[in-house]
Amino acid sequence: MTDIVQTPAAAPETKGRSLFQLAAMRFKRNRAAMAGCVMLALIAVFSFLGPLFVPHTYDQVFPSYVNIGPSLEPRPDTSTLQEVMEGVATRARVTLKEFNVEGEAFTATITSEQPIDARATRYFDRANEFRDTQVVATEDEGRTLKVTGQVDREYFPFGTDSNGRDLLVRVMLGGQISIAVGLLASLVSLGIGVVYGATSGYIGGRVDNVMMRLVEIMYSLPFVFLVVVLVVFFGRSFILIFLVIGAVEWLDMARIVRGQTLALKRREFVGAAQALGLTDWQIIRRHIIPNTIGPVIVFVTVVVPKVILLESFLSFLGLGVQAPLTSWGALISEGANNIQSAPWLLIFPAIFFVLTLFSLNFVGDGLRDALDPKDR
Amino acid sequence: MISFILRRLASAVPTLFIVVTISFFLMRFAPGGPFNLERPLPPQTMANLMATYQLDQPLWRQYVHYLSNAVTGDFGPSYIYKDNNVAQLIGKGLPYSIELGLYALLFAVIGGVIAGTIAALRQNSILDFTIMSVSTLGVTVPNFVVGPVLTLVFAIGLAWLPAGGWGDGSMRYLILPMIALALPQLAVFARLTRGSMIEALHTDHIRTAKAYGLPARTVVVTHAMRGAMLPVVSYLAPCAAALLTGSAVVETIFTIPGVGRYFVLGAINRDYTLVMGTVILVAIFVIVFNLLVDILYGLLDPRVRHD
Amino acid sequence: MADTNETILAVRGLKVNFSTPDGTVDAVKGIDLDVRTGETLAVVGESGSGKSQTMMGIMGLLAKNGTVTGSARYRGQELVGLSPKALNGVRGSKITMIFQEPMTSLDPLYTIGRQIAEPIVHHRGGTFKQARARVLELLELVGIPEPGRRIDSYPHELSGGQRQRVMIAMALANEPDLLIADEPTTALDVTIQAQILDLLKSLQKRFGMAIVLITHDLGIVKHFAERVAVMRRGEVVEQGTTADIFERPQADYTKMLLAAEPSGRKAAPADNAPIILEGRDVCVDYAIGGGFFTRGNAVFRAVDKVTLRLREGQTIGVVGESGSGKSTLGRALLRLLPSSGYYRFGTTDISGFDRGQMRPLRRALQLVFQDPYGSLSPRRTVGEIITEGLHVHEPALSRADRDRRAIEALKEVGLDPASRNRYPHEFSGGQRQRIAIARAMILKPKVVILDEPTSALDRSVQGQVIELLRDLQRSHGLSYIFISHDLSVVKAMSDYVIVMKNGKIVEEGDTDGIFDAPREPYTRTLIGAAFNV
Repeated sequence: MTDIVQTPAAAPETKGRSLFQLAAMRFKRNRAAMAGCVMLALIAVFSFLGPLFVPHTYDQVFPSYVNIGPSLEPRPDTSTLQEVMEGVATRARVTLKEFNVEGEAFTATITSEQPIDARATRYFDRANEFRDTQVVATEDEGRTLKVTGQVDREYFPFGTDSNGRDLLVRVMLGGQISIAVGLLASLVSLGIGVVYGATSGYIGGRVDNVMMRLVEIMYSLPFVFLVVVLVVFFGRSFILIFLVIGAVEWLDMARIVRGQTLALKRREFVGAAQALGLTDWQIIRRHIIPNTIGPVIVFVTVVVPKVILLESFLSFLGLGVQAPLTSWGALISEGANNIQSAPWLLIFPAIFFVLTLFSLNFVGDGLRDALDPKDR
Repeated sequence: MISFILRRLASAVPTLFIVVTISFFLMRFAPGGPFNLERPLPPQTMANLMATYQLDQPLWRQYVHYLSNAVTGDFGPSYIYKDNNVAQLIGKGLPYSIELGLYALLFAVIGGVIAGTIAALRQNSILDFTIMSVSTLGVTVPNFVVGPVLTLVFAIGLAWLPAGGWGDGSMRYLILPMIALALPQLAVFARLTRGSMIEALHTDHIRTAKAYGLPARTVVVTHAMRGAMLPVVSYLAPCAAALLTGSAVVETIFTIPGVGRYFVLGAINRDYTLVMGTVILVAIFVIVFNLLVDILYGLLDPRVRHD
Repeated sequence: MADTNETILAVRGLKVNFSTPDGTVDAVKGIDLDVRTGETLAVVGESGSGKSQTMMGIMGLLAKNGTVTGSARYRGQELVGLSPKALNGVRGSKITMIFQEPMTSLDPLYTIGRQIAEPIVHHRGGTFKQARARVLELLELVGIPEPGRRIDSYPHELSGGQRQRVMIAMALANEPDLLIADEPTTALDVTIQAQILDLLKSLQKRFGMAIVLITHDLGIVKHFAERVAVMRRGEVVEQGTTADIFERPQADYTKMLLAAEPSGRKAAPADNAPIILEGRDVCVDYAIGGGFFTRGNAVFRAVDKVTLRLREGQTIGVVGESGSGKSTLGRALLRLLPSSGYYRFGTTDISGFDRGQMRPLRRALQLVFQDPYGSLSPRRTVGEIITEGLHVHEPALSRADRDRRAIEALKEVGLDPASRNRYPHEFSGGQRQRIAIARAMILKPKVVILDEPTSALDRSVQGQVIELLRDLQRSHGLSYIFISHDLSVVKAMSDYVIVMKNGKIVEEGDTDGIFDAPREPYTRTLIGAAFNV
């Protein structure tokens, strides 16, 4: 038993640093890229965990708060409440004598010529803003009532949209969908592109010729437009959108991987693997694909923003995910349409969108520098 | 050279054919049709319409019919714009798109190459950082954001320029859509130029030029620049094809009567023939510009000269 | 021989350092050199000795992260710290350079005529048209055939040797005082190397310029230079006349370098030793061009009817210049390329074997490559690399067994077994070549084809690798096919030599016979062109 315990200590094996570890070290030194990483992480946390901390849901409609601007103050504010309360009093045919709001609770004193029916409190509850109204004191033979109740105050730090939905939650949801589409579509294109490119490049000869000819033909298809056609014709489901985008974005990936493979094929370690008797598939898997990873990772950081942009383009054309779901692209296009009346509808999603793409760019540049084969 | 061009044009025929075929069947196998409106038409009307446009025939016959007509330049009637056939629609819209696209292309290439070269020569300076940040912004901000913002600031806020429309076609009307169209491409050109310029400045023959005492300007302009332009020229083809065939977004925002809108309108309305027409248009532009760029590339780089 | 009265370049306390993310690297640590009019000074050293960076530093050609300090005076004018503009008055007119890579040193986008004319026009004024006559004259001078036609050629239309001639023409254009030649022939074949060096020598006689020859090759130094400076790790360890250095070396390092020349002969195996690998009438064709629709009609025959019989314990050296088909022959013998001919391994006829049938034989037939940087997959650990063959040929082995075999193999090639957890980029060229040898040896092969296994290594390391290969052959009874362009290595390694040219065997025979009494003129040229120390 002691043997087993001692083994790890007895073998302080010199662990080498792999190229990846070296690249990671270089990457960590790049401040812009690290800042980009942190920013991306923050945005992801905001989008995916944010909704847990906001009481509203993305499809919750607040008819009282349509198109209100962003503010850190709770809604409605005290003066609005005063107006609302006066409106309630008018409807209940009573006069409002006194009205106070303290935190979540309000107190009001109402008077009337005739004694007031306690059921008048129903008028208070009917307003969105008030609930649980109770009579706490009756004075003046029922002609004056003191009522208290809860005020429903809502926070809309990003304001609301033209349907009265909380923009904060919408932006979070949009982030979830845009990020998910970006990642999933990139993965789809990555998968197709890497396998296709590596196969074509490795086998070479006539097979390569045919496969690349096919890619060339696909290049002359107007692709953005093909996506439009596919989405229009086959419906606007989330899955379809990322599949379609992924299916049209793999061409560049395939070309890059093929180029890499052609270069790698001439490298002697592939010749060595052949001399060892490895099968083609083993060589592709163990030697070709791992060595194409550097450029591929860099390219993914280019594809993700491209995909997010493409998705937002679809959304702009009204072909993105269907309401009440939304994406940053959809939110931005909605904001662009209301740019004069409600600029915040454009500003908030655009900030997150641009920040994300910006960060991805820096991360991509950082990765390129870190993985640059010339540094090897 | 001429035989090269002829060979390339000949090889474009099968490409076009495949593009047409894929698009045709892709569309037809999708559910829905041009006359499936929200309020269904009476069956008799529907049948009449289908018969008029020969949509009731077997698919392969429609395909053959379309192909044989297309070869003669007849791209069929539009199902939605009933007054015009597809060829007329494109013929009317294309000049607008091309004019606007050409300005945008010039703006993007010249601006991008100058900015990229400056950034490369001052690598890692504040200037480099600024140019690259702005160009990153250019790539990341979609033109449906840039468009409205430009309108808001220059047309509505400052009232310097018209908010949209073609007007008399003067520059005043073209500036804002041109900027919206060119900005992302300008950014791409700037990044491409910077990257290839930095690479070019590190080649052995630049070292030779320096070792022979050639002045910095000669080294940069005659030796580094020309090599650095090769990737830029390659990107010219897809970029020019995209810009000259119009942008659905920019044409919608600035109400330009170009062909860009037809892409989307045709697809949404399942206007099969209009969709096919635009597909063919774009494919031809892509093929032609690839050819032009290959010729240009050959002029720049003696190693790939086609004689 | 040369008039050594005036010093034209005086280097004092020159330092070059590079700032890298891992700290400052001192490439040159304060050296003194003198170059006198009309002489040839050789700066000798192995890779990383700082010999090139010294000259790059003086000429203001260091990479951006490099700085040069100290002093380098050209005829009294300080060059270190001079502005690029002021330096341009000297560069290209008084001091010129030629570089190692003739393939990339010329701008691919301009004709050679224009490139040669550029320094003339720039330093002497005039137009490109006026310079044309001078360019033609220069091309004639450096021995470019048909200069009238070639003047409008692009660099890619010329061979490596011709490009180096163009570089020399460019260097001579302004009749410089000093020509710095940085490994000018390293990338060229031996016969071309001899021509280029002869050309430089004759031009030097004619124009009387001084030459600084930077090289790792002592053979060239001995035949070419009047004085030698030996550099190691950024310092000059010894300086003196060529005769002194070669006959009375003082520094240990110089002695070691001189002794590193491979020596010894290998005895031939017994005549009745069984044949282990045979290729008869081996032909390899490559299709040239040909697109998707057009079948490539031009065929290039890389190996043309070569017959080779390898006996147990024998080493056959295959000698030839680049393009002679010697590497292709090696791969064809291992059935790694489509080829025609009759092949036999031991007693098995393997002519018609496909990849699947060859697979079990592969463990007995191994290959070691030239480039120790390219032949090891950069993303796998050394342990993974050398045990890869075991996965294929002995799949039943347990992890621990494989590890044990890896340790054995590493010990056998003289590496620390602990290195199996490290990655190739952490090793030097010689160590990497040992790893590549371990990868082959772990399978206990019978035949190893060695494709230029020492060509990318420094001389001192070369000797060690050759020693290792010889030891392994003795202890395991291996048979080698040793492919190399380096005659001195072939001479030391093999007992039988095949000389190849354009895919054909020009001459073959026992090593002694080939080297002592070559029959064919080509063989004689090859041997004559190789400079021995």
